[in-house]
Amino acid sequence: MNIRNVGIRIRARHALAAGMALALAGVTAQPAWPQEEGVGMFSTGKLKTISGAEVFQNICQGCHMPDGKGASGAGRYPALAGDGALASTKFMAVTLLEGRRNMPAFGGTGDMGLFFSVPTLDDDQIAAVINYVRSSFGNHFKGRITATEVKALRRPSTDRLLPAH
Amino acid sequence: MIGVSAGSAAMYQAMTSLGFAADSGYQGPIQLSGAPSGASVLVLGAGIAGLVAAYELRKAGYQVQVLEYNSRAGGRNWTLRGGDRYTELGGFTQECQFDPGLYINPGPWRLPYHHRGMLSYCKLLGVQLEPFVQCNYNAFLHRTKAFGGKPQRFRTIKADYHGHVAELLAKTVQSKNLDASVTVEDQERLLTSLREWGALDESYRYAAGPLSSDRRGFEKDPGGGLGGRPAFSEPLQLREVLRSGLWEALTLCDVYDMQQTIFQPVGGMGMVGQAFARELAPLIRYNAKVIDIQQDDHGVAATFQDTAAPSAGRQTVHADWCVCTIPLSVLGQIPMKVGAPMANAIAAVPYAAAVKVGLQFKRRFWEQDEQIYGGITYTDLPISNIGYPNSGFFGDGKGVLLGGYLWGLDAAKFTAMTPDQRVAKAVEYGSQIHPQYPKEFDTGVAVAWHRSPFTMGCFGMWTEEARAAHYDALCAIDGRIVLAGEHASYLPAWQEGALMSALDAIGRLHRRAVAGAMPS
Repeated sequence: MNIRNVGIRIRARHALAAGMALALAGVTAQPAWPQEEGVGMFSTGKLKTISGAEVFQNICQGCHMPDGKGASGAGRYPALAGDGALASTKFMAVTLLEGRRNMPAFGGTGDMGLFFSVPTLDDDQIAAVINYVRSSFGNHFKGRITATEVKALRRPSTDRLLPAH
Repeated sequence: MIGVSAGSAAMYQAMTSLGFAADSGYQGPIQLSGAPSGASVLVLGAGIAGLVAAYELRKAGYQVQVLEYNSRAGGRNWTLRGGDRYTELGGFTQECQFDPGLYINPGPWRLPYHHRGMLSYCKLLGVQLEPFVQCNYNAFLHRTKAFGGKPQRFRTIKADYHGHVAELLAKTVQSKNLDASVTVEDQERLLTSLREWGALDESYRYAAGPLSSDRRGFEKDPGGGLGGRPAFSEPLQLREVLRSGLWEALTLCDVYDMQQTIFQPVGGMGMVGQAFARELAPLIRYNAKVIDIQQDDHGVAATFQDTAAPSAGRQTVHADWCVCTIPLSVLGQIPMKVGAPMANAIAAVPYAAAVKVGLQFKRRFWEQDEQIYGGITYTDLPISNIGYPNSGFFGDGKGVLLGGYLWGLDAAKFTAMTPDQRVAKAVEYGSQIHPQYPKEFDTGVAVAWHRSPFTMGCFGMWTEEARAAHYDALCAIDGRIVLAGEHASYLPAWQEGALMSALDAIGRLHRRAVAGAMPS
């Protein structure tokens, strides 16, 4: 691979899209396209939706799979379907904000000092996808988390300087 | 001339300041010898790091075993060809339909001239290398909102950007605004150089004419005979060039890691892994999923499942020492008997998302219609790159190009799709640059690295803070175990990083083995 910081920190300045979603029909969860087209390698890594389903379909299901059942190879992506750990919205929020092992932090700035940005989610999106996952894939967890509660869990840095939790 | 008069230390210093010696630090072939009699090493992973480690440790006299998850060697060093079958996490299977001789490299695709370790092993193993065209003046630069979405030739943007900037700077010099910064004599030299650099005319203007056309291209190329007179092209205005933002892609060939001459193995990057595999054949056990790594005062033990024979149950192999090259994304889930510093380091590095799409077309329309021979088109579309094949030029048959090389959010979105959706989307985006796409598209494959069963991501994403906190702990020998891989290097995602980390790791391990050191 050939990823080095090429010394070019490129940030696209782009106008807000007006109604960009391409609705795709189908039984399988095909992603909608809420992000403005045309940001490419200069992307700031921000998905423009506050739909929990769309966040899941555009990002989460890449690893946790469209049916939420995870997958297993040399290692595994945990299933979200029937995962008892999801009982804690706080646990989920901290995991999304700061990451856990191979799962990256989605609560950061997107800037990892690399030539590309990593995806970031704001408080509304994190709350929405938590609530979506806890009530989908056969899950029926009680209660919901709000964007305000997510915000209160943010720490100054998502760097993993502390032992793995 | 420096070497003639100076000693070697001064020469090295001079070379460093000139940028010549600041490469991976490869010192030439590692010379390990004198392994303790009967000593054994278990190598986990047959990617570049594991293969190099196994090769050199065997040469040093160790008994070497390698456990590899895949049914092939190379890891991310990998080429997809017609007839190959690849199943990603989630069970989505692709059967590559490329014509014989055509391929895509889903992982690394190029070897810089200063990655001397990789080049050295290629030569050693008989892997033929050919030039990778990094900089093609006739390839496109594209942004959807620049010039109405019409792709511009690299040569046009480069010539016009340099020409206008040169003209402005020449004006600045001539109006005496640089007297405080530049001596009068140097201003003369600067003016002369700007004429050359910017293709300025005798009035120090960048204007339509033979000089600018000779850089940016002609309206009508010079020919022969009665109709041979060229027509000069009109430069773009400075404001158009600046506002287009296309200048952002002008320096992508200038970066040290991308400078020509840059290489690719003939027949695909995977030729390297295949060559190592032939060399090390009896040492490598494939389809071995490692599920536990233990060590004590006497040795190491790795337990694995044979994924090709699941009913065989768990098996354990033993050795005196272990070089573990398993990606951290996977390793973090394997119980391993190491101390907290290494364990915390392993847990601190998430992997980056990346997606590569290979598209086969019925004819090499980019050559036949556009005169683009190799190289890369850059775009702000999510596909970011269109990489044209750097071999087989002027062929009449099909051709495979890199139809997308995605990062960040775009990579995440493509990872969330099915392979068919990724290919379809890459064709859709590429059509905005090459209208020939829909008619000429034949077949495609798409590899999303977070769905690769053997890496669960593309490469380890270190931050500066994480390196400060964890890197040394990751690289230190823990008892009888040492880690290696691109994640244990300062060349993340480069095969040279994996190679250099392996050489460094086995050098230290060998010293410990020879010294008979016991873990505390």
